[in-house]
Amino acid sequence: MKLAKIAFRNIRRNRRRSLLSGTAIVVATMAITFLFSYITGFLGDYESNVVRYLTGHVRIRHVGYDENEQLNPLHLSVANYKDVVRKLEAEDGVVAVVPRTRFFTAIYRNDQTFEGIGLGVDFEREQQMMRIQDSLVQGRLPRSGEREMILSAGLARELDLEAGEKLTLLTKNKYMGMSGMTFLVTGIVRFQVAGFNDSFFLMPIDTAARFLKMDNEATEVLVMLEDSKQADAFVERTRGILANLGRDDLSVQAWTKVGMIYGMIRYAQNIYDIFALIFFLLASTVIVNTTMMVIYERMREIGTVAAMGMTPGEIVRLFFLEAFYIGAIAAFIGVLIGVAITLPLARTGINVGGITEGVDMELSSVLYPRLNIRSTVFVFFYATAIASLASFIPSRRAAKIEPVEALRAV
Amino acid sequence: MRRIMPLIMAMGLIATLSMSAITAEEIIANVERNKINEAERIDGSMTISDRFGSRVKTFISYAAGADKMLLEFTNPEEKGQKILRLKDEIYLYFPEAEEVIHLQGSALRDSVMGSDFSYEDMTGEGDILDQYKVTLLGEENIDGRKHYHLELEARKRGLAYPKQEAWIDAETWVMTRANSYSLSGRLLKEMELGDIRQVAGKYVPHYIIMRDAMKKNSSTEMRIQSIDLQADLPPDIFSLEELTW
Repeated sequence: MKLAKIAFRNIRRNRRRSLLSGTAIVVATMAITFLFSYITGFLGDYESNVVRYLTGHVRIRHVGYDENEQLNPLHLSVANYKDVVRKLEAEDGVVAVVPRTRFFTAIYRNDQTFEGIGLGVDFEREQQMMRIQDSLVQGRLPRSGEREMILSAGLARELDLEAGEKLTLLTKNKYMGMSGMTFLVTGIVRFQVAGFNDSFFLMPIDTAARFLKMDNEATEVLVMLEDSKQADAFVERTRGILANLGRDDLSVQAWTKVGMIYGMIRYAQNIYDIFALIFFLLASTVIVNTTMMVIYERMREIGTVAAMGMTPGEIVRLFFLEAFYIGAIAAFIGVLIGVAITLPLARTGINVGGITEGVDMELSSVLYPRLNIRSTVFVFFYATAIASLASFIPSRRAAKIEPVEALRAV
Repeated sequence: MRRIMPLIMAMGLIATLSMSAITAEEIIANVERNKINEAERIDGSMTISDRFGSRVKTFISYAAGADKMLLEFTNPEEKGQKILRLKDEIYLYFPEAEEVIHLQGSALRDSVMGSDFSYEDMTGEGDILDQYKVTLLGEENIDGRKHYHLELEARKRGLAYPKQEAWIDAETWVMTRANSYSLSGRLLKEMELGDIRQVAGKYVPHYIIMRDAMKKNSSTEMRIQSIDLQADLPPDIFSLEELTW
């Protein structure tokens, strides 16, 4: 009889044992598949938020801005930003080009002072980047040129304010003097990024310019590309474009070179890789342990087949095949269940708002696990291989034992 | 003659002793008498210099007594902005704001227009003797002129400068130098006053330079272009109602 047939028959014959061995592999592969999807989703979310909310794939600023960023130097701005936006928008591979003006304010309400961070934005263009319209939970977006603004939900809660009310802001203008202006709050927005919900408010960039005494100026211009891997190449292209415009007052940076953000992502990735490795090792020990236990239990059976004339090589191959079949079927089922858990959650998301609230990182309050085909396929092959290889140790040992001794074993 | 000479010498000595016997409180009273005016109008400018270069802000200020002051900016960027001080309260008016901002607490120590002056520095500090215990440390000669060197220690908590040193010109009663310190003795600000001119019987420094020791390479130079100590101030100019007009 062929070994494969015997192996299958053995699996069917010892159903409870096969089920025990298979269940361990199913649980391990399912958990790893989900964990990998969760990590992929988490890192992808962080990266996407950093790009959409903070840096774009490519960021253009005045050469002196970064050095003095803490002082909010509005005079070190991207002058004539509209020309820069127009030029870059015409380039291939560009999804969006958005100008932004970031500024710090004191907010006066009911004789109390609060702190807030303002962003002057082009709401239409931002639909490609921050997708503000989708995050609006009350009211409407501000109109261009009007003294209107929208507040982040956390700030609105702190100020005890709703859409339709007014508030007065005080800020340092471009000339380092003071500016004060009263704005109508037209809406409340719940940003995807928890960190933005505590202190940010948005207004049309032309309104911000009037408030800050700026003229066709933005503190930065961000570019989002179709392919993030093209960021470095696009930086070079942008430098060329700006040089042709005679703009040596501007600096261009790929998002991977902005501050420590990219380093943070890589660091987080490493940490998660270590977690995954530990989890993998734990899962492997479960698989190895179960497989070995099942074979050691079958010493008497090994003795019998050896007494009937099966060679040690055939015994090893037989147990290898058994473990391989169980491993492959169980890993497949495990991966399938892992995928089945991940796919709906990838649509509905996992609410982690309670954990990320107040965390000053670009993390979403809802995380969407993302299935990574490569790692899912890898998990399947890995689990199958571990289960199969785990059979070698006990079966090789058992095969070397004399049939009489093996028959004596319990 | 022999009898007269000792008498003259004795009188001179008494005069000298009485001169030097002036108390710190009397010096401050003289300074405040010279400084405080009932109907004052100043047209002035502030040149703020820091790491980003220099900027000029121009203003008109009105004052009546020690506790009423109104300052209106006239440079194009901040035209129409006003700061009103009524006793210990400071209010800000911005043409594009629908409410008057009432400055409170630590905001009073915020910089005015990014300068080295705080709102409190700019609008006066109230009655010195009420707020500070003053001690005469001695007399010093500065630029060939006799000065009184005073130390001021806060009588109460919460003042912007818990400790100050001041040098008062013994002839004009103008404070020509002042250093302000924190409670721990750290230097916070340095101020120098100069170009002292006599206006309507009073001595008025036309030049003040302030350096905030907390800011690197920063100084603010204030100059008086014109001053009227008997100005015809509009009625109710120092009121919240008038502020919004």
